[in-house]
Amino acid sequence: MSTSKIGEIGMLQLADSFFPTGMYTTSSGLEALFYSDKKKMDVDGLSEIIKVYLKHQIGPADCSALGSAYESIQKKDLQKLIEADNTLFSMKLIEEVRNASVRSGTQILNCISSFILNNDILNKYQNAVRDKRASGIYPVALAVASNTFGIPKYNAGLMMLYGFTVSLIGAALRLGTLRHFDGQRIIHELKPAITEIVEKNIDRPLASMWQFAPSIDILQITHEGMSSKMFIT
Amino acid sequence: MSSKRIPRLGIGGPVGSGKTMLIEQVVPRLSSRGYQAGIISNDVVSREDAERMRLNLAKGRGLMSEDLVVGLATGGCPHTAVREDPSMNISVVEEMESMHGDLDLILIESGGDNITTTFSPALADYFIYIIDVSGGDKYPRKRGLGIESCDLLVINKIDIAPYVGADLSVMERDAKAIRGSKPYVFVNCKTGEGTEKVTDHIIRDLLFEAPPKAIAKK
Repeated sequence: MSTSKIGEIGMLQLADSFFPTGMYTTSSGLEALFYSDKKKMDVDGLSEIIKVYLKHQIGPADCSALGSAYESIQKKDLQKLIEADNTLFSMKLIEEVRNASVRSGTQILNCISSFILNNDILNKYQNAVRDKRASGIYPVALAVASNTFGIPKYNAGLMMLYGFTVSLIGAALRLGTLRHFDGQRIIHELKPAITEIVEKNIDRPLASMWQFAPSIDILQITHEGMSSKMFIT
Repeated sequence: MSSKRIPRLGIGGPVGSGKTMLIEQVVPRLSSRGYQAGIISNDVVSREDAERMRLNLAKGRGLMSEDLVVGLATGGCPHTAVREDPSMNISVVEEMESMHGDLDLILIESGGDNITTTFSPALADYFIYIIDVSGGDKYPRKRGLGIESCDLLVINKIDIAPYVGADLSVMERDAKAIRGSKPYVFVNCKTGEGTEKVTDHIIRDLLFEAPPKAIAKK
């Protein structure tokens, strides 16, 4: 089997919700919307709000950081990789979101380094996380994992946006606002948006990273303060 | 990622079986013998259990600092959070290990779940499963992975057994039949009855009777 075929299986492995990242515990603030405005949680409303997350937060920030990190890995530039990590970490405004992203990323590194022992950049990045020079934030850890598994940069971006979309759909299903077939319909209909957002952001330089979704920030802040909730924000 | 692994105790059981109350009984007993514990509480829909333990054990009795009681949401999947994908729990455990290396053990309370709950061996070194008599004396007989595979089976609320028609001798007989030589303890977490025995099991079978770190240092 060629390396690229193995990379394709690696992509399935990392994108699988069975891969242990703990992301099923998060709703990215969606649970707060469920309690404040259920009307926005119907099929069309949910599809629209996921697009907002992708276009204004995950695309220009997380996807760009992943792309930049991936380039740094290819150039064996650990400092630039750490810079991508630190920059994205500083842009995650909501503490619970920031912590969850770091915890998911750290666990990806722990998982793959338990069976891939001699990957230089993986080991160096993990040491940087251990020494607290880097946080281990999810998109950067995913870039390291993708490179280790032989997954191309663009595919790594697709995988991350797809995974984020699935985690929001999963949260909506568990909140009981969606039928399971409708969840799949939303994922299907978002495929063009996902590819377009990855194309637009995966080569964005680190200095041009941005995010601007104040309504989502407020949603996440509201969720973070809720005393009774099923999800980590 | 952690510098040194601290022994980890997983406590699972159905909703309302007494997981939090068991912790509230056991932690002071461990503390009186010099053992310092951290607690991670996986709540299904609220932070109530973690906040209660913070209030009772940290603020109220000064047995630990408040940051040693951490509440964790599980996205509605309490068994996944301690078994198939314990990533978030392991991350929090590792954070606790790196910040509080002097702890003797870390207790991880699962969210209330069904009788198939087990802990990933990557997360917990020792697993207590707690049930109570109000579900009827058939409970141990129904088996389930939690009851069968746990290191210690705890049967709670023995004081109300006569009122719910539960025969403790039947539960004892079935626990022996299902679990062979593995231990079980009857407790009443309201009064503390039986919880000293649970503490003994933890010190003997999880901590291997190692002296508390604070004492060993002197």
